[in-house]
Amino acid sequence: MAYLNVEEIDAALHTIAASYPTVTALVPLPNRTPEGRQSHALRIGPADAPAGNTVIMTGGIHAREWVPPDTLINLAADLLEAHARATGLRYGGQRFSADDIQSLVEGLQLVLFPCVNPDGRHHSQTADPMWRKNRRRVRPELASRCVGVDLNRNFDALWDFHRYFAPDSGVSASDDPCHPHVYVGPAAASEPETQNVVWLLDRYPGTRWFVDVHSYVPAIYHTWGFDENQMSDPSMNFRNAAFDGQRGRANDTYREYIPGEDVEALQELGSRMNDAIAAASGTAYALEQSFSLYPTSGASDDYAYSRHFVDHTKAKILSFTVECGRSFQPSWQEAEDVIREVCAGLIAFCIAARQQAVRIARPSA
Amino acid sequence: MADEAVHRIEIRAHTVEELRSFLDGTDVDLGCRPVVRRQADELVMEVYATLSHLNRLQAARSASGVTLNIVENATQTGLARQAEVSAGNRFSRRQGLRGLGIKE
Repeated sequence: MAYLNVEEIDAALHTIAASYPTVTALVPLPNRTPEGRQSHALRIGPADAPAGNTVIMTGGIHAREWVPPDTLINLAADLLEAHARATGLRYGGQRFSADDIQSLVEGLQLVLFPCVNPDGRHHSQTADPMWRKNRRRVRPELASRCVGVDLNRNFDALWDFHRYFAPDSGVSASDDPCHPHVYVGPAAASEPETQNVVWLLDRYPGTRWFVDVHSYVPAIYHTWGFDENQMSDPSMNFRNAAFDGQRGRANDTYREYIPGEDVEALQELGSRMNDAIAAASGTAYALEQSFSLYPTSGASDDYAYSRHFVDHTKAKILSFTVECGRSFQPSWQEAEDVIREVCAGLIAFCIAARQQAVRIARPSA
Repeated sequence: MADEAVHRIEIRAHTVEELRSFLDGTDVDLGCRPVVRRQADELVMEVYATLSHLNRLQAARSASGVTLNIVENATQTGLARQAEVSAGNRFSRRQGLRGLGIKE
């Protein structure tokens, strides 16, 4: 076996959709990439139910992180084969029963977008292996090295970092179009790849869980990445302009508000994911809040969770970033182990999400 | 051009202040996200830089309390890994896709 190239990722999605037509559908994304590639997602579930309980998982936002797209393709292939054969599914010491698989495939809508940034992946796999961004030349008049936007700094979540963060926060972002790693782009959600993720979230308004798979640490992170979390002062939040210019410093007075019930739900889901990873591989990941040494702006997970605060008509989306494995490009043999452990974690996550949904639908049960 | 290769570098410090005094304001590649892990009584993070970039950093700012360890030549590793990327399209005929999980 070997890593999937970008043509194979798209072909794999077509193959899976053709093999399991009663419980899948290909979802063409509306925006072609800067190099003209058509991206697809895969919906898993018995019927297209935009308002139904939905989990969206993305991978490959960062080009050099080769394992996540292969992981999501593997996840789809495993789930659907086990469902079709009415078997259970095992990764190392983590076993899921046939009933688990059936309830997941038939009781929850899962939308997988395995490779958000195929242009970048192609460049990383054929030219510069350390390439991170997309491949758009935002300002053609600049030097040829000034290519690409960091898609995970391009989402509309405190994107204008100069305005929102403290000058000494060290926020991991740059407005320099020649920055080699973390250029945020010319506007929030300016990039077609970012717009495709936003489109999916809008296309499935019943989305209540979002997992963006990256590499590496290994760790499971939940919102927020803006600052340290606090649960006592709802007014101290990312929408409050009174705190502009103050966010992002550790150990100071500003901390980002998150409801306590959301922290509990995030930790429950993260723990279930992590328990399965540990059972599959023998080693648990860290489970932590996203904010660490420096804050991040414009990240996918914070954007997904922030949407319901900005627009109350939108559903709350509990959001995670999984940083899988221990290197960007492990040998394929090592990558297979990472794929197994992450698939175990993601399936456990979906089962826990479905149980959360059932509890919410029947609060007295 | 060997010094233009990007290296994976482990940084160890005892305090966040030590780490930040070395990294603040640099354009060092902090990996997927700026993450610090605690190992025993040390803080550890990994960054990516060319050796010339690293040397400039060490010359220009205090590295008091910070130790650096070059883990690998990441560019060289990545170029080698490109040989482990499929060259064709294994699914062009819509067949033969199975996952790694054991169905039982």
